[in-house]
Amino acid sequence: MINFEKELELFKPSLEVEAVSETIVKSDLTDMADIMMEIMKEIKDK
Amino acid sequence: MDYMQKIQYAANSFYNRGLELARERDLSGAAECLKRALQFNKYHTDARNLLGLIFYEMGETSDALVQWVISVHLQPEGNRADRYLDKVQRKPGQLEHASNLIRKYNQALVHAQNGSDDLAVLQLKRIVEEKPNFVKAHLLLALLYIGHEDYTKAGKSLYKVLQIDKNNRRAERYMEYVKSKTGKADVEKRKLKNAFNHREMEDNDVILPPTYKENTGWQSIINIGIGLALGVIVVLFMILPARDRSLNYQHNQEMRIYADKLNLANQEADKLRKAAEQLEAEKGKAEANLENLIGDSDSTLIQYQTLVEILQAYRSENFETAVKQYMELDTTKITNENMLNILSEIEADMAANAPAVLEKLAIQSTESGDADQALRYYEEYMKFDDRNPQIIFNMAMIYKKKGEEETSDQLFGQVIMNFDDEELAAKAKEERGY
Repeated sequence: MINFEKELELFKPSLEVEAVSETIVKSDLTDMADIMMEIMKEIKDK
Repeated sequence: MDYMQKIQYAANSFYNRGLELARERDLSGAAECLKRALQFNKYHTDARNLLGLIFYEMGETSDALVQWVISVHLQPEGNRADRYLDKVQRKPGQLEHASNLIRKYNQALVHAQNGSDDLAVLQLKRIVEEKPNFVKAHLLLALLYIGHEDYTKAGKSLYKVLQIDKNNRRAERYMEYVKSKTGKADVEKRKLKNAFNHREMEDNDVILPPTYKENTGWQSIINIGIGLALGVIVVLFMILPARDRSLNYQHNQEMRIYADKLNLANQEADKLRKAAEQLEAEKGKAEANLENLIGDSDSTLIQYQTLVEILQAYRSENFETAVKQYMELDTTKITNENMLNILSEIEADMAANAPAVLEKLAIQSTESGDADQALRYYEEYMKFDDRNPQIIFNMAMIYKKKGEEETSDQLFGQVIMNFDDEELAAKAKEERGY
């Protein structure tokens, strides 16, 4: 059974072209390698 | 193997899986894997570029641009994303067109979420015509059709989504629902059942050969003629009226939407006109009040200023000036409670002491030949005390000198008739010529 209203709420607006640069600036690019480096650094400091 | 290497391997593994799924056209599944790959290694350029391509393929141009710009930033040299960006931006107006479509989709979503389904459907139909790979728009359109119980159209939209993104979960879920509503699910189940239900032939089963009948040349021509006639009949009586009805319906729907919009705009315009009239009236009132406050010599502001000048005269112990200022004061304009208290004290003092000063000023003016000013002082005196026969007599004398005999005679008459001062009454009689 499809709940129309509930399904409609699940739709989110698409990212507009004007907002691309802002999205890039706000992107969190931290990856697993960064986290590992951080952990290793902390271990070394101790 | 160190940890960093393991991380690289994990990223590669997710990238490979993503690539595999992308080749199978499972775009949403591929996107998930590629995002994972980038979580392990953000510098995995191929993964990021492929993710951008997948977004672009699904109609999400902005998301694709984000990935490709980040990709070029992380690896400026020898990066394929450079070419993709160039391609998207090279054709004049292409990016603007994509931007407009995204904006229209967002508007349609707002319409749909606010209950203007018809408007949303119209807009989404135009969007998918211009951008047939816009998955989100197809999905929203399908959902709206489902909402209107138009399952055939919903099915068509969902079919297009599944052609672009084979395992799109939302599309699959909607499609399952649509099939259950149109009865296609049962047909598919039966087909599946028949495919696996193979009955072996028994000895007494009889196979009937298909009948074969050879048509002659004339019969073929007649059959073709009948076919053509039937075709024409179908077109004339079934397809064309249905098409007309559909066009009329579409036209009426559009007209209704425009009429609704026009009504709304008219209502809005009426509201604005009324608001403007009300504001204009309020402005007029405010201007009148302002004029009353600062405009003429009788204005409230001037009266308060006069009151301040009276107080200053009191402070410098110049009672004569205070009396002169008090003559100019319109006490009805003073409404401030604190100032009213001060005013009542001044009034009491004036009632007690102003008549003497006014008489003195009137005599001085008479002596200096300024009859009008003298009369003004006397009139002011009369406001405090109108039972002084000497003052009335003095006023009568001034009027007589001015040649206003009627007024002077009336005042002499008051002195003669209303007071017991015989000496003054005799003088008045003499002046009147008795």
